[in-house]
Amino acid sequence: MGLKPATNPDVEATSIELSIDGKTVTAKDGVSLYDVISMTGKIIPAMCYHYTFDPFGSCGMCLVMQEGKKAPVRSCTAKAAAGMVIRTEGEDLFLARKKAVEKHLSVHPLDCPVCDADGHCELQDMAFQHGVTNLANAKQKFIPEDTRSPVLDFNMNRCIACAECINVCKDVLMIDALQFMKKGGFNQVVPKGDLPLNCEFCGDCLAVCPVGAITNKFSKYLYKPWQMKKTTTTCNYCGDGCQMYLETKDEEVVRVTSPLSWKNKWGDRSDTAKGHGGLCVRGRFGFESLDSQNRLVHPLVRENGRLVEKPWLEAMHGLVDRFVAIKEKYGPDAIAGLVTARCTNEELYLFQKLMRTAFGTNQLDSSARYGHMNFVLASKHAIGLGRASNDWEDLTKAKAIIVIGSNITETNPLTAVRIKEAVRVYRAQVVTFDSAITNMSKLASHPFLIKPGTEGAVIDGLVKAAIDLDVVDEAAVGKHPQAFEALKKAVASLSMEQLTVQTGLSNEVFREIARLFAEAPRSIVLCSEGIVRRTNGYQNVLKLMDLAWITGKLGQPGCGVSTVTEEPNEQGAVDMGTASEFLPGQGRYGDPEVRDRFAKAWDAVLPSSSSGAHLVEILRRCRTGQIKALYILGENPLATLPASMEVRAGLERLELLVVQDPFLTDTAKLAHFVLPACTYAEKDGTFTNFEGRVLRVRQAMDPRGESLPDWHIMTALANAMGCQWDYQSANDIQSEIMKLLPGYYNLGQPRKTAPTLDTYLSKGYTTKVGERYQATPEIHAPTRPFALLMGQLLMHSGKLSVQAPGLITIAPNTAKLRMNARDLEHLGLQEGMKVRLTSDRGSLQIAVQADQSVAPGTCFFPEHFNEPPVKDLMTVTVDPTTGVPSFKQMWVNVEPV
Amino acid sequence: MSITALTKKILHAALFYEIWDAMKVTFRHMLHRPMTFQYPREHRTIPDAHRGALGLLRYDDGRERCVGCDLCEVACPSHCIKVISAEDATRPLQRYASEFYIDITKCVFCGYCVEACPVNALAMTKMYEYSTHDKRSLLFDKKRLYDIGERHLDDGKKYLYAHNQEKNLEESREYRYYFPQSVAKATQTPPKHLS
Repeated sequence: MGLKPATNPDVEATSIELSIDGKTVTAKDGVSLYDVISMTGKIIPAMCYHYTFDPFGSCGMCLVMQEGKKAPVRSCTAKAAAGMVIRTEGEDLFLARKKAVEKHLSVHPLDCPVCDADGHCELQDMAFQHGVTNLANAKQKFIPEDTRSPVLDFNMNRCIACAECINVCKDVLMIDALQFMKKGGFNQVVPKGDLPLNCEFCGDCLAVCPVGAITNKFSKYLYKPWQMKKTTTTCNYCGDGCQMYLETKDEEVVRVTSPLSWKNKWGDRSDTAKGHGGLCVRGRFGFESLDSQNRLVHPLVRENGRLVEKPWLEAMHGLVDRFVAIKEKYGPDAIAGLVTARCTNEELYLFQKLMRTAFGTNQLDSSARYGHMNFVLASKHAIGLGRASNDWEDLTKAKAIIVIGSNITETNPLTAVRIKEAVRVYRAQVVTFDSAITNMSKLASHPFLIKPGTEGAVIDGLVKAAIDLDVVDEAAVGKHPQAFEALKKAVASLSMEQLTVQTGLSNEVFREIARLFAEAPRSIVLCSEGIVRRTNGYQNVLKLMDLAWITGKLGQPGCGVSTVTEEPNEQGAVDMGTASEFLPGQGRYGDPEVRDRFAKAWDAVLPSSSSGAHLVEILRRCRTGQIKALYILGENPLATLPASMEVRAGLERLELLVVQDPFLTDTAKLAHFVLPACTYAEKDGTFTNFEGRVLRVRQAMDPRGESLPDWHIMTALANAMGCQWDYQSANDIQSEIMKLLPGYYNLGQPRKTAPTLDTYLSKGYTTKVGERYQATPEIHAPTRPFALLMGQLLMHSGKLSVQAPGLITIAPNTAKLRMNARDLEHLGLQEGMKVRLTSDRGSLQIAVQADQSVAPGTCFFPEHFNEPPVKDLMTVTVDPTTGVPSFKQMWVNVEPV
Repeated sequence: MSITALTKKILHAALFYEIWDAMKVTFRHMLHRPMTFQYPREHRTIPDAHRGALGLLRYDDGRERCVGCDLCEVACPSHCIKVISAEDATRPLQRYASEFYIDITKCVFCGYCVEACPVNALAMTKMYEYSTHDKRSLLFDKKRLYDIGERHLDDGKKYLYAHNQEKNLEESREYRYYFPQSVAKATQTPPKHLS
């Protein structure tokens, strides 16, 4: 609701009664009158109002008559009070509103036919509703259009100064990139300081603009709103699973909009805990990869060393013959498969079924292995729940949030908006531990910059401080005294002094944060790439579980340890069993009972559980020649993994490499068969986001060229391999999943599962806990003083987003190493000068650029770009328990050349 | 048969009455102007309000009138119009139709598109002769439409006057809408009620 939510988890607002149009209405005290009226189902026009932020009151449309007052009052800024008598209709109010419309229209250009908002314009609707046909003193503003931003154009002639864009930017997104400025005699919306707009480009200002004052450069003047087909689908860029509308015209995607719009301005502020309906820059402006000219449109087959176009039938015949021959000659274990977590649940399910039944191998993996698997396995091991414990609502209503090793505003911007709401509306304490100066740390109440790679030590310190301070929850630890003793003993071996030196944090910090976390009624730990994609990720997640357990935060409503995922369906990939250790539904592959159930359902003999292999092992077996055929669906290990993994050598040794992808990736260029797959806009299915919500993906357009949905190709492949699959659509696969995993879809709501710690703490915990808490002395040579970090940028996601020209315009590959300005000065470098970057793995020359988000002593290169190949400087450490390769951090030397 | 009737019949037969009676029409028409036209050697004079082939018009300075607003496309009941619009790279803020197609084989000549046009860029002309052996050439593209508009400019304007769409040339630009021109800097003093 407008104003602050009247009811929050801690305070229940009192009820009041007031009379609206002769009817008595009960409402919460302290909410805006406008909301109370709209709650009764009446719609009063209001152009500057949106429920996601506080009322502004500039349009003068929401007028109502209050008994006892002579003039109409603005209902949005008026607070509902007990005993008010309100009239919302009448000739006088109609005329007053008409006057307000006329006032706006008199300085609004009548260029509706060429305006992008034509047909989707509140002012147009209002003028029509109020019958404004004749304007006596219409004037033009003659303001030049601001086209300096790479994404948005500001045409201030059309602006009605409703400030929705400014408010949504300031209040909801807390970016505050826009402001009013008196220019040329008019109050205009300009980027802060009247500089070219340089913000996160989430485009929410564009979404809420009720007129056409802010326009999207990518679809400006192309089509009118009514000409486009609108498909509700789920964003394909990160694990937040934002709902969006893909607006298409024939075979092209014109623009992306979202539920956030002036059209749905009525809502309850407490609803925004489930999302405000907006998107981030990737979702809103990264759609151009869908109808890109670089898409594969024909199957390609390698002939005489070149990939040549072939018809589907011929390509599939050749492919199946090769697969059959390899299976006969070397046995099923010569075949392996990798799949991307950008596929739908149905396709991931089909992929593992194809590998396990048609090919008969358990050598399969998905891109969840790059990090999310660390969290899933640790969480499953500890609390029996193989996903994040908290959803968006928990995050919004939390009292304390520890964000550790997560640049969340860059990786998962919409989850970050939930934390921002927690800070702004519910006054949460946010603690950030990161080795970069993240945007979240600027908003946090307790921002801490730690030394690179010491996230594990920070958790050690927090656990130790919690025990030392005795802020433990007696009920939680009392149930498992032996386990707690073991933990105490393990932690006792750590020296606080060493931890403070190692992490760069003081003893007081650990104590303060441990106390804060333990004492808050609802506290959440959010860990992501800084934990799960780095060395000891598995152990570090378990340590976080320890912290949450001893402070009594496991199993409490609104508390827990959570993570976010980079790819849209990493959670689904784990749930669908596309990992050698899991069958669908996260059943252990080795569990005979689960195996029997699936073997029966699929009417097949499952491969033995000992033959399974994860990503790193698959690549190793490719190198040793054990694996002869590799089926890669959407993955691109060659461009992702560092050269030291020798992926190229492994792939070149294969007898058969099949790549199925919408684009000709680096890996596909080595393939023997390249099958053109569809993007998510051309198929049906579901994604499971990091909360465990299953979200629908709907077909928006016909497949481009001859490309086909992945499930279609896999069904054809399986049938050619001798299976009897008769899936006609993604729905058929869905019904099969529904039968095998009852309740998985759960109507798109996250399933609530109570964590169970008992087995974990009583069996084997005491023996294992000791290894976790060991001092990890920093081992880096003084000749390598800088920590090179690789990570995600806000504008990009994996390698997919580089195919979207829009995102590349906003954030091109600068091919420069990002460093702190102080370090540059220290090294005597100017921006753009070349340096030699040396690691244990090699060295390369690269230009530098100053970046204020990079901490002193570190340097950063985005993982999306391989030009120059900075990733090849990285060493890969493979987690012994989960097999997760971590290669995002390295000690390097930077010297000017 | 009576005597009178018989006499009359014999008389008619003797005097070849039926032939004279039939030839009466022929001889009468010999004396006044023919009603038919010798099409295609002769053409009928067509009223200004006639709905013929559609053409796109230009302003007198040669600029395209069309702003690519797609309104004709929506108004068209037979869906024969397709407009693809874009921003004019040389003149920022100016929208124009980068492509414009009218499938004249589908057109029902209702004139709704002309009525919908906010800038009177479309007009119906008196041209109706476009029979061809190749049906594909009846998908008029932007160039063809402007050619028609140029060749039949007067007819097009007369059509607009006849249908009360446009009053006179001077007012044609600002007849119903005023589109913002590319402005280099703020030139106008603010209106009184805002200052």
